[in-house]
Amino acid sequence: MDFNPCMKHKLVRKTVREFVETELGPIAHEIDQDARFPWEVVEKMRSLNYFGLQIPREYGGAGLDSISYAIIIEEISRVSAAMGLCITVHNSVGAYPIVLFGTEEQKKQFLPSLAGGEQIGAFCLTEANAGSDAGGVETNAIQDGREYVINGTKIFVTNGGVCGCALIFAVTDPQNPKKAASVFIVEKKTPGFSVGEIEDLCGMRANQVSSLFFEDCRVSENNLLGRRGDGLKVGLAALDTGRIGIAAQALGIAQAAFEASLKYAKERQQFRRPIASFQTIQNYLAEMSTEIDAARLLLYKACAYKDAGKKFGPEAAKAKLFCSTMASKITGLAVRIHGGYGYSKEYDVERYFRDAKVTEIYEGTSEVQRMVIARHLLTTPT
Amino acid sequence: MLKLIVCIKQVPMVSELPWDSRTGTLKREMAEGMMNPACKHALEAALRIKREYGGHITAMTMGPPMAAEVLYEALTLGADRGVLLTDKQMAGADTMITSFTIARAIEKECPEFDLVICGSQTADSETAQVGPQLAEELNIPCAAYIESLECKDKCLRMTRLSDDFLETLEMDLPGLVTITTRQFRPRYATLSGLEEAFQFSGITTLNAADLGLSPEQIGMKASPTRILDVFSSTAEKKNHVMTGAVKKILEEVFEKFGDKIGSAMEKDLKTHEHSD
Repeated sequence: MDFNPCMKHKLVRKTVREFVETELGPIAHEIDQDARFPWEVVEKMRSLNYFGLQIPREYGGAGLDSISYAIIIEEISRVSAAMGLCITVHNSVGAYPIVLFGTEEQKKQFLPSLAGGEQIGAFCLTEANAGSDAGGVETNAIQDGREYVINGTKIFVTNGGVCGCALIFAVTDPQNPKKAASVFIVEKKTPGFSVGEIEDLCGMRANQVSSLFFEDCRVSENNLLGRRGDGLKVGLAALDTGRIGIAAQALGIAQAAFEASLKYAKERQQFRRPIASFQTIQNYLAEMSTEIDAARLLLYKACAYKDAGKKFGPEAAKAKLFCSTMASKITGLAVRIHGGYGYSKEYDVERYFRDAKVTEIYEGTSEVQRMVIARHLLTTPT
Repeated sequence: MLKLIVCIKQVPMVSELPWDSRTGTLKREMAEGMMNPACKHALEAALRIKREYGGHITAMTMGPPMAAEVLYEALTLGADRGVLLTDKQMAGADTMITSFTIARAIEKECPEFDLVICGSQTADSETAQVGPQLAEELNIPCAAYIESLECKDKCLRMTRLSDDFLETLEMDLPGLVTITTRQFRPRYATLSGLEEAFQFSGITTLNAADLGLSPEQIGMKASPTRILDVFSSTAEKKNHVMTGAVKKILEEVFEKFGDKIGSAMEKDLKTHEHSD
C-alpha cells in the first residue's frame, strides 16, 4: 500500500491549483457576495477540459480517473466551493450517467457539447414533495407516439439557472412501484422548459440554483436514458458518483478553512503571544488536520474502488457522510479560531462555514448516507 | 519543420530551504518541486514557434528521478518528447559541468536540432550561466534574454530589452536562445493533455553510461566551482510611530516618505501643493 500520491496525481493538483488560485482566487469573495456566476472563468475552464473530466476521450472529454477527479473538485472547492459545485454536478450527475447508460447515439449527440462546456449539465430529482424519498416524485412523462410529454416542477436544481441540458427524473408508470420512474435528457431549448427564480441561499451563492418548470415539454423517445422504468437504477448510480464529488468538495472547503486557521493562529496576538502558542488552539489545529487526513483517505478509497471497477456505493456514501460532517465541524472551529473576525464577511472563513453546511444535505442527506451504509451492512452476507 | 530542444530545470517550490552546510548545496529533496518559471516561458516560446512554423519539441532535464515530473508537465503543455538525464554521479554538478552533460545528451539524442531554448535563469540559483555555456559546448551562436522570435529560412530574428533599448538581432540556425519571464506568458495545461501525457507519452531516461561519460567527467567531482557560502537574504521592516496632531503627522509623513508615496502613485506630489 502506497500512501504517496503518484506523479500524475501530484501534477493534477498543481495544475488545477495554479489555474484556480490565479483565475478564481481574486474573485471568490465577490462572486459569493454578489451571487454571480463567473462566466468569464467558465469560458477559460471550457477549453481546459474542466467540463469533460470523466467523459471518454472519443467524445471530447479528458477521460481522467476518479482520484484525479476528486483532486480537481477538492482544489476548485478549496478556492470557490460554488464553482466546485458547478463542475462536480455537471460532470458526475449531469454528464456521467450518459456515459454509463447512454446509447451510442445519445453519447454522440450529447457528450461532445457537455465535454466542451457549451452546455452545462444538471440533474433534477428533488421536488416540493420529494427529496430523500425519491418515490414521491410527481413530475410525469406520458408517452404520446414516439414522444414523451413531461409536466412538473423541480426545485433546488444546482446549475439550474445556467444549464443547457438536464437529466429529469419523471414518473412513467405510476402503477408499477418498482419501475415507476425514468430519466430523460432534456435540452433547455426544448419548448415547455423554463427556469424559475434563482434561489437566495445561505451558501454556494455563486451557483445559480433554481427551480425548473416543465409544461407540456415534448422530447423524443430517443431522449430516454436507460430503459423505461430504470429511473431508480440510473438515479442511484448517478448519486454514487455524485457523492464522490460532494465529498471532495467538502474536503476542499475544510482544507481551505484549516489553512486559513493555521495562518491566522500564527499571526493573531493575544496576551502578547500568537494564539497558536495556546494549547486550546493547538488542540483545535491538531484535530482539524487529523480529521482532514482521515477524510481524504476515505474519499480516495472510494475513488480507488470505482477505478478498479468494484462496487463503490457504500464507500462513496461513507466518504460523503464523513467528509461533509467533518467540513461542517472544521469550518465551525475555523470561525472559533478567528473569533469575531471569523463571523465577519471580511474574512473567508465565514463563507467556508456557510458553504460547508449544504454538503450535509444535497446528493443525499447525512441521514440517507447512513441508510445506504446500513442497508449494505445488513444485506451483505458475513 | 523545426527541431526544437527546450532545457528545463525542476526547482524547489518554496524560496527558503535548508541547505547542506558542508557542501553548500540546497537540500532539494526537502521541497516540492516545480518547473523553473523562466523554463516555463522558454517552453511557451517553443510551443508558439511550433504552432507558427511547425516543429517537434524535445524537453530535456537533468536531475533526480522525481524531476521527470517537469517533463510530464512539458508533455502536458504540448512537448512531443521528454528526455531525463539522471544518475547519482551527475549530482552536484556546477553550471559548467551541467552544460557539458546536457550538450553530450543533445549530441546523442537529437544531433539534428535547429534551436535550443533555455530559461534565462533559475529561481533557485539565478546564475544565468547554463544557457550560454551550453551554446559554447555545442559550438553554436547564442542570444540571451530574448523577448520575441520570428523565423525565416532557418534564420532567427529576435528582440531583447537591453539598458532600456530594444535590440533587434539575427542569428543563423542552429543556435541557442534564452528566454526571460517578461514575455511568452505560459498557457494553462489542459486536463486532457495531462491524461494524454501519462497515457501515451514516453520519457527516455539516460544515465552517465548511456552518454558514455565516466564519473570523473561529471557531477560534483568534475565541477571546479565551490560554493563558499549560502545565505538567505533578509528583508527588514522598520516601524515609524508618529504622535501628535493629525496635521503635524501628515506633514511628517510627506516630509519623510513623500518621494516614495509619489513614486508609488507615479505622481510628483510637489506639483499638487496648494499655495495656502
